[in-house]
Amino acid sequence: MATINPGFATELKKYGALDFNKCYNCGNCTAVCSLSTGDNSFPREMIRFSVLGLEREIQKSTTPWLCYYCGECSATCPQQTDPGELMMSLRRYLTSKYDWTGLGAKLYTSKLWEFGTIAFLALVVLFLFVFFHGPMTNELTADGGVMLNTFAPWQQIEIGDLLMGGFLAFFLMSNIFNMYLKIIGSQKDLKIPFKLYFSEFWKLIVHFGTQREFSKCDTKLEQKKPALNTYWVVHWFLMSSYVIMFVMIVAFLGWFQTDNIYAWFHPQRILGYYATVGLTIGIVYFFVQRIKKSAQKSKHSHVTDWTFLVLLFLTTISGILVHVFRLNGMPQPTYYMYVFHLMALVPMLMIEVPFSKWSHLAYRPFAIYFNKIIVAAKKSK
Amino acid sequence: MKQKIGVYICQCGSNISDYVNVEEVAAQAEKIEGVALAKTTMFACADSTQKEIEEDIKSRQLDAIVVASCSPKLHLFTFRNVAIRAGLNPFNYVQVNVREQCSWAHSNNPKQATEKAIHLVIAGIERVKHSKALPAIKISADNAVLVVGAGVSGMRAAIELAKMGTEVVLIEKNHFVGGRVSQWNKLFITDETGQEVVARLYQEVKNHNKIKLFTGTELISKSGGVGNFDIQIQFTPRYVLTTCKPDWEKIQKAISLCPIEVDDDFNFGLTKRKAIYKNFPSELPHIPAIDIVNCNKCGECVKVCEEVDLEQQVEKLNFRVGAILLTTGADSYEPKKGEFAYQEIDNVITLQQFKRLIEISGKELLYHGKKIRNIAFIYCVGSRQQDGENKYCSRYCCTSVIHSAILVKEKYEGIFNFHFTRGVRTYGKQEILYNKAAKQGDIFLQSFEDSPTEVTSENGKTIVKINDILTANMEIEVEADLVVLVTGMVPRENTAISSLLKIPIGRDKFYNEVHPKLRPVETVIDGILIAGTCQSPKTIMESVNSALSAAAKANSLLRTGEIELEPTLAVIDKETCDWCDACAAVCPYDAIEKSEVNGKFVAQIAKANCKGCGMCLPVCPVNAIQLDGYTDVEMEGMISALVS
Ligand SMILES: Cc1cc2nc3c(=O)[nH]c(=O)nc-3n(C[C@H](O)[C@H](O)[C@H](O)COP(=O)(O)OP(=O)(O)OC[C@H]3O[C@@H](n4cnc5c(N)ncnc54)[C@H](O)[C@@H]3O)c2cc1C
Ligand code: SF4
Ligand code: SF4
Repeated sequence: MATINPGFATELKKYGALDFNKCYNCGNCTAVCSLSTGDNSFPREMIRFSVLGLEREIQKSTTPWLCYYCGECSATCPQQTDPGELMMSLRRYLTSKYDWTGLGAKLYTSKLWEFGTIAFLALVVLFLFVFFHGPMTNELTADGGVMLNTFAPWQQIEIGDLLMGGFLAFFLMSNIFNMYLKIIGSQKDLKIPFKLYFSEFWKLIVHFGTQREFSKCDTKLEQKKPALNTYWVVHWFLMSSYVIMFVMIVAFLGWFQTDNIYAWFHPQRILGYYATVGLTIGIVYFFVQRIKKSAQKSKHSHVTDWTFLVLLFLTTISGILVHVFRLNGMPQPTYYMYVFHLMALVPMLMIEVPFSKWSHLAYRPFAIYFNKIIVAAKKSK
Repeated sequence: MKQKIGVYICQCGSNISDYVNVEEVAAQAEKIEGVALAKTTMFACADSTQKEIEEDIKSRQLDAIVVASCSPKLHLFTFRNVAIRAGLNPFNYVQVNVREQCSWAHSNNPKQATEKAIHLVIAGIERVKHSKALPAIKISADNAVLVVGAGVSGMRAAIELAKMGTEVVLIEKNHFVGGRVSQWNKLFITDETGQEVVARLYQEVKNHNKIKLFTGTELISKSGGVGNFDIQIQFTPRYVLTTCKPDWEKIQKAISLCPIEVDDDFNFGLTKRKAIYKNFPSELPHIPAIDIVNCNKCGECVKVCEEVDLEQQVEKLNFRVGAILLTTGADSYEPKKGEFAYQEIDNVITLQQFKRLIEISGKELLYHGKKIRNIAFIYCVGSRQQDGENKYCSRYCCTSVIHSAILVKEKYEGIFNFHFTRGVRTYGKQEILYNKAAKQGDIFLQSFEDSPTEVTSENGKTIVKINDILTANMEIEVEADLVVLVTGMVPRENTAISSLLKIPIGRDKFYNEVHPKLRPVETVIDGILIAGTCQSPKTIMESVNSALSAAAKANSLLRTGEIELEPTLAVIDKETCDWCDACAAVCPYDAIEKSEVNGKFVAQIAKANCKGCGMCLPVCPVNAIQLDGYTDVEMEGMISALVS
């Protein structure tokens, strides 16, 4: 038994959904979807739930995360309901529902909250630097580089880093737990053997590491085999760069934020360059896609999509400049750019990781993991 | 007895000859006494063969022909015309069906198919041998039509008939014209109002001097047949002088003074009206009317409106018309008590009531004082009944309800519409409305007939529940402030006129046409036509289409002043007949009258009415009736051939 909630459509439209009410249930979208399967049929079912406003059904479902927005459905739908964009908006909606603090919903549905929070965090960073920065010396190191660690000693930055890391981990993990409750906890009639949590675990790792479902987009229906597609490759490059950079600055800051100028083949530089190139290419590629709007999945951009890209872009470009200024012995520009770098980086991580778009990096593999557990449990029954 | 009979066996390409040995059939036919020639032919209906038969008739002086080919439904008239062109009476021709009845039916057994064909052909020869040349029957016809019912169909047909030069008597039972359409405000799919449409038609009706419109009028008697119906109509007066100038203020005063209040049919009982009434200010004709059944003649209205005349009398008039066109319309289905909680839960109403409710409601949409937000529409009530009587789809309702859902949302804020359908049928251009409704956020659900939507009352709330097949049969419910039953169309209770005219009634209880595709506006009774929703559920466009077609049909029948009838009629042998009434009692067309000949009562056939159906033949105790074209000798000849 489920009760219709006709107001849901209005709510979902704030998350970017378009004219999905027009759906007349022909099922073409599901038929052409390269990722939909017998066990997990989408997107029509999700459109139906959205039309009826069955929030419980949506929240307990994993299918929005099984969709990689290949866009075939939107290109095929005879009613132009844009099912792909609906799935996208459901992911935004779910992200805000997994977030038990309610902040995610605010950030997604209100520009004031989104930009207000960014500005607030940036100002906090600025404030901390204004009052607590080290000497802004013009002296250079023996290699001729800037003495960045004098201005901003990594030991102190690391404290902030770890605090932030703890904050992010706490919220992200608790949101994932909330997600677990909504998805697996709601499977009242299904007995889930405990061992499935272990036997299916490697799928979480594989899907996080490879995002291989992405590669099945745009393939012929019969052959659901991975195929090299630019989107997937670029996305993977971006994601891996992001992760490398994230690990280096949060876990190994002492090693990464050095005043030494290593040879170009030093792992610190190689990893740094890999990540920088990956981020730059990814950001530029997705910027261009969203502006060109030629691929179905780039036709519509929610304000939060832009925010993430812009913050990531500012973080990357300022990071590159810090590096260039430091290597070329330009102390003042290095210090200012470093402050600016953190003013972009901190909001980017604090907002995006547990509450907004970035979190899909975690939710998606977890959803796949939960889904595999449920499907396996159903099969074993 | 015919002595020179031509027999033609058609191969129908290979349709016949693949299974029936046509040469053998021809050889056997040739042996029969009286057969002058027997031929096979590739296509009997081909132009060249038709010419060949004509030539044969002329050169060999044939006195009868038999064509053994397909069904007479297909080519009876083709070969009758061949006979006529060759100077032979068309009734000296007999068609034998050796395709549907032999080659197609017995393709698994060519030998027996051939044998059957031989028997049928010989029977045909025996029949044609005894055939008489029947003279064409022509009767004079009045180029005038009685149109019954001044709804859109009746008015539209009347206008078209008048334009073509036919006199029209247009009668309307109500005191106001327009039928159902005047009750619906905005119409799909043009958004014109029903009142506008009716007003436009009424103006044209009034402007045409060939149309005599009578309101408050019914047909009370009819005699005669096609071309010459003698009819009598009776009109109940309005009790308001027709010279009355429509002064709406005065009329309103009179209405407010009237002490009588009755349920208002026009608003389907949602409101009350007085005994002197006009359903809406611009209703036509402009003059109000008094519902004399409920009026107690207290005279209150007379005080303010001197045009009221309570002394007017019922009047009758006679006319002669050549044809009668029925456009008596349809009713809305009235749900049974308890059907989707109708009359059990207060806020369950019908679509027609809902349409009136939107129309008469002011700033807020209220029902019994409660503000309406959630509206649940339950489709196909009284239509598409699996177990009930009404198997048909009422056609108009899906579109009408969706259109109303759009209108209600346009007029009032905060409305949510929920459509509990059995599959939406907004065919043709009407699909645009469905799209619009979906786009505006209306929610459509669907169930199968074996698991219908349920309406229940829980703690004073009205809950509508469905097993939605669009959501994998999930049980889905909504709390509704108003439940609208989307009722279908049913035939009007109109027994007086249908028994007076003996109109054939179909299984769905609507008036029945001869053939739904080929003769869609004629009934089996010559000269009686049907159009509009009295025939089947239709939208206005479809009603008007059929009305125009009926008008054209009636005009083409009557315009020459003469009608040719099929001469296969019953013939009474006046010597043998001893009027007993048995034949008249069974005749479905009222074609047998009692008449006096040489001091004795005998049956007489009204040629214009007789359809040659043969019902009267077997009931005559003294065998005084023969059917031309199917006389006893002909039939007996056929039977002997078949059993030999
Ligand atoms: C709720 C509802 C909404 C609709 N909305 C639309 C719409 O928006 N658009 C659209 O295209 N269609 C609509 N329709 C369909 C439309 O109403 C019909 O197609 C139309 O009324 C048919 O016209 P008619 O003249 O055949 O019959 P009617 O309108 O029924 O008229 C028949 C007339 O004959 C008279 N009559 C009956 N018996 C006798 C008798 N014995 N003697 C003399 N007179 C007699 C009646 O009084 C009546 O005036 C709707 C129908 C319904 C029920
Ligand atoms: S293709 Fe479009 S109309 Fe058809 S089911 Fe999918 S969303 Fe609905
Ligand atoms: S038109 Fe629609 S509501 Fe009416 S009977 Fe047909 S299917 Fe049912």
